[in-house]
Amino acid sequence: MINTLLSLNEATRTVNSGSNKVALLDNIDLQVKEGEFISLMGPSGSGKSTLLNCIGMLDNFTGGGYTFLGEPVHSMKERNRSKLYKEYIGFVFQAYHLIDELTVYENIETPLLYKNVKSSERKAMVADMLDRFNIVGKKDLFPIQLSGGQQQLVGIARALIGKPKLILADEPTGNLNSKQSTDIMELFSQLNKEGVTIIQATHSENNASYGSRIINLLDGKIVSE
Amino acid sequence: MIKNYFKIAWRNIMKHKVFSLINVIGLTIGLSASFVIGLMIYYDATFDTFHNDSDRIYRVVTDFNSPEEKDYNPGITLALEDAIKDNLNLEVVSGFYIERPSKVENKELASEFKWPNFVIYTDANYFKIFNYKFLAGDDTNVLSNPNNVILTEKRAADYFPNTAPDDIIGKTLVYNDSLNITVTGIVENFIERTDFVFEEFISHPTLFQTRLRDQFLNKQWDNTNSNSQLFVKLKASSNLATVQNRLTDLAKEHEDEEAKEYGYEQIFTLQPLADIHFNEDYGIYDWSKGQASKTLLTNLALVALFLLVLGCINFINLNTAQASQRAKEIGIRKTLGSSRKQLIGQFMGETFLLVFVSALLSLALSKWLINVFSDFVPEGLSFELFKTPLILIGIVVLLLIVTFLSGFYPALVLSKFNTVSVLKNHLAVGDKKVKLRKFLTVFQFTIAQVFIIATLLVGKQINYLLNKDMGFKTEAIVSIRSPRSESELSKKELYAEKLRAISQIKKVSIGGAAPASFSTNSTEITYMDGENEVKSELQFIFGDTNYSKLFELEILAGRSIRNDTIKELVINETCRNRLGFITPEDAIGKTVELNEEDVAIVGVMADFHQRSLKSEIKPMALRGDWYRPRWSQFQTVHIAFQNKSPNGLKGALSEIKNAYKSVYSEIDDYEVKFMDESIQKFYNKERKVSKLLNWATGLSILISCLGLLGLVIYTTNRRIKEIGVRKVLGASLIQINTLLCKEFLILVAIAFIVAAPIAYYGINNWLQDFSYKASISFWVFIASGCAMIFFALLVISVRTLQAANANPVNSLRSE
Repeated sequence: MINTLLSLNEATRTVNSGSNKVALLDNIDLQVKEGEFISLMGPSGSGKSTLLNCIGMLDNFTGGGYTFLGEPVHSMKERNRSKLYKEYIGFVFQAYHLIDELTVYENIETPLLYKNVKSSERKAMVADMLDRFNIVGKKDLFPIQLSGGQQQLVGIARALIGKPKLILADEPTGNLNSKQSTDIMELFSQLNKEGVTIIQATHSENNASYGSRIINLLDGKIVSE
Repeated sequence: MIKNYFKIAWRNIMKHKVFSLINVIGLTIGLSASFVIGLMIYYDATFDTFHNDSDRIYRVVTDFNSPEEKDYNPGITLALEDAIKDNLNLEVVSGFYIERPSKVENKELASEFKWPNFVIYTDANYFKIFNYKFLAGDDTNVLSNPNNVILTEKRAADYFPNTAPDDIIGKTLVYNDSLNITVTGIVENFIERTDFVFEEFISHPTLFQTRLRDQFLNKQWDNTNSNSQLFVKLKASSNLATVQNRLTDLAKEHEDEEAKEYGYEQIFTLQPLADIHFNEDYGIYDWSKGQASKTLLTNLALVALFLLVLGCINFINLNTAQASQRAKEIGIRKTLGSSRKQLIGQFMGETFLLVFVSALLSLALSKWLINVFSDFVPEGLSFELFKTPLILIGIVVLLLIVTFLSGFYPALVLSKFNTVSVLKNHLAVGDKKVKLRKFLTVFQFTIAQVFIIATLLVGKQINYLLNKDMGFKTEAIVSIRSPRSESELSKKELYAEKLRAISQIKKVSIGGAAPASFSTNSTEITYMDGENEVKSELQFIFGDTNYSKLFELEILAGRSIRNDTIKELVINETCRNRLGFITPEDAIGKTVELNEEDVAIVGVMADFHQRSLKSEIKPMALRGDWYRPRWSQFQTVHIAFQNKSPNGLKGALSEIKNAYKSVYSEIDDYEVKFMDESIQKFYNKERKVSKLLNWATGLSILISCLGLLGLVIYTTNRRIKEIGVRKVLGASLIQINTLLCKEFLILVAIAFIVAAPIAYYGINNWLQDFSYKASISFWVFIASGCAMIFFALLVISVRTLQAANANPVNSLRSE
């Protein structure tokens, strides 16, 4: 029996644009099971990123229900929500979003600091991660000294260090060349096989094909699965 | 975690070196000022706090109220002590009398000490109020017999060098050639800060063998001498108001009938021990040490506060302006699980690091500042005082406050960023705070502007005071006092004779103080104008027949005095007016009653300033030396030189000194006083204010301009693309520069508008102290406004010209 990781029930997100209400997400119903690899597709402005942000609790739905691991996120307090996503969710961004002032090692370590992991344990975990991604030699470099592909590797390593159940990737290969893209997508499917649930937003049919399920969005609505 | 914060804080500081430097400079200036001034306040506030129950110790002082003015005397009438001793329910009453012996001899060593200072006549009660530690001698039954003295360790070392305290006990000193006094005790000098600087304590009964015998045998209620001091210690249970009331009653009971008639009133006041160090009305015992002034300390504290606030404002401005640059980091940290609290903590940590660095720099600077501001800093204050626990705690608290003031708001702004919009580069947060930054900048420049205007106007007033004609000759005149023990006129005349032989000297006069001086000698005169009786206070200057010529006093009618000892007066215009004579000629030949004698007015001289220009011209008269040889007022020799040039003056001065040496045997007191320098001394306080203002102005301009520079750098960086596009479209360098400078100059202009009335009000208040004021001119305001705009423009242009000059290709290509 596979558990449901999260479910959206008529989830809606509207914003005020002048006097008009604009629905960025319109009555989304979605069930995500553990171990799925979902690709969100759709043209620019269709609501892919908004959906990811809302699932990742960086942003809130303005209506409807959102349940994560059986807990109702929509009625949760900020602090519990923050605890929840610290524990279970990792982000990967198109623009990598590494902290420029920190080295590769420190960037990967940062989430652990916020989880109050002990120093010795942190060292071991970061060392493992550097090893796994073959970037031990680059651990003291700053992001600016790395190529885009390498930066995204660090970004993924950082997302994974907290051992999340769910990885949310917003166009993870958008700034990469095709060789780097393939490497990253290979890595994602490898991670997925190890049991991590992944939701990615992408423009590329090719990338989408790595996923186990494709959801098409248009104007904030799910048009096909 | 903390380590991580500090690491990133350090990297951020190093990455934005210019901004960090501006922040550190601003905070360092503010903190240095605060440290030094805090130290001064602590130093002055901790005088005489170490005595047991110091809050119950009071000095009884005397206030005199008269219709014209209020007068203060730190002493009391001798009769008061006996009157309150037993019937006021006080714990201890201790009177003492300050009297410098003319000579103390240690016959054993054949050593002689002239005019030792800080000698008092007192009894055991003094040692009950003030706890001295006895190094030798009996501390139970002190000073009860005549001819006993207790010395401090320091004084004992002078009189009995290299002798152990125990061995000094029982030895004899000879005072004033006749008094044989036995040393019965040696006490330790107070180690802590104190105004009780006395070194020799002679037993009270000894007084009856001195010149003061009559005064003490026959104690008068109507005679108050500042040397006669009285201290009381209240019982823990007693009520201050009750004691004060009783003292007031006592004063009333013994009021002089005649004085009452003229509205004179004498009041005994309890002065708290803690007030002695601050209250200039009553003074302290060691005049050579400056007294602390509460006004000065308050002003200094205000300056420190302003500088500190200016530094904090720079910090707030630059950090909120730079916020967008850090927005990305904040967004990422939030997605990685940082809470807002943690972010605020991180930014406060960064602020603290900067503040801490500034504090270290300030500590180093303080050492130097204590020297630069030696005019303000009390003599005994040293850098070591920083080691006091209270000061250390104070510094830590100050650092925390400064960190909070400067760091909290930026931290709040930064941590508020919305994660999603930050990461999507939809950022406008930095711009929303523009209004606040503008407000703070205006605030900064207002302070700087007020300081500039105040500096100029205070400078103008001081200049006015120093250059205003005093009404008599002040240039190329020196005065030399005769040795204080010298009462014979013949020696002074001999000296004057020798001086006249020196070729550079034009005129020599023997007399009292110069026409303008700190010393006053006055009495009341009565003039019978037919039926009317006119009374007036009259001040005197004493001089021989050359006096008025030497100082070029203008005689309006009649003549100057003809002889040193004939009882006649040359009054000034103010006195003539007061006595009701219409013209100077009217006054000639009239007589006034003075000390129950009729004295003729033989001349009227023009008014001149007898003191600083802070005070009005009072009735004054020139007179001779009437009571000699019993009592001579002629203690000073005034010398006028031939020409003003300093050439040859050096030679003349050494000749003057040689003459002095050849005439007098005591030459320790030799001092040449230049008249113009003496006049400058009237304005020491004002010159201090001026120096303080100069510094405050310079520093506040510096901090404000640095802050402005930071903002300009930030704005031009943001607008670099706009500048590029405008240049491509054909804008000239000047046009671009004007565009960039405009928004900042508007702020400076607003600051001027706010500052001008504040400065006007403040200076107007300050000028109320002076009877003669320079006008508050319009041009000063205009000039200071222009100066401020000039400084601002200079600072802004450094950066804007650079930006406007940059090749647009570079800024446009990066997109």
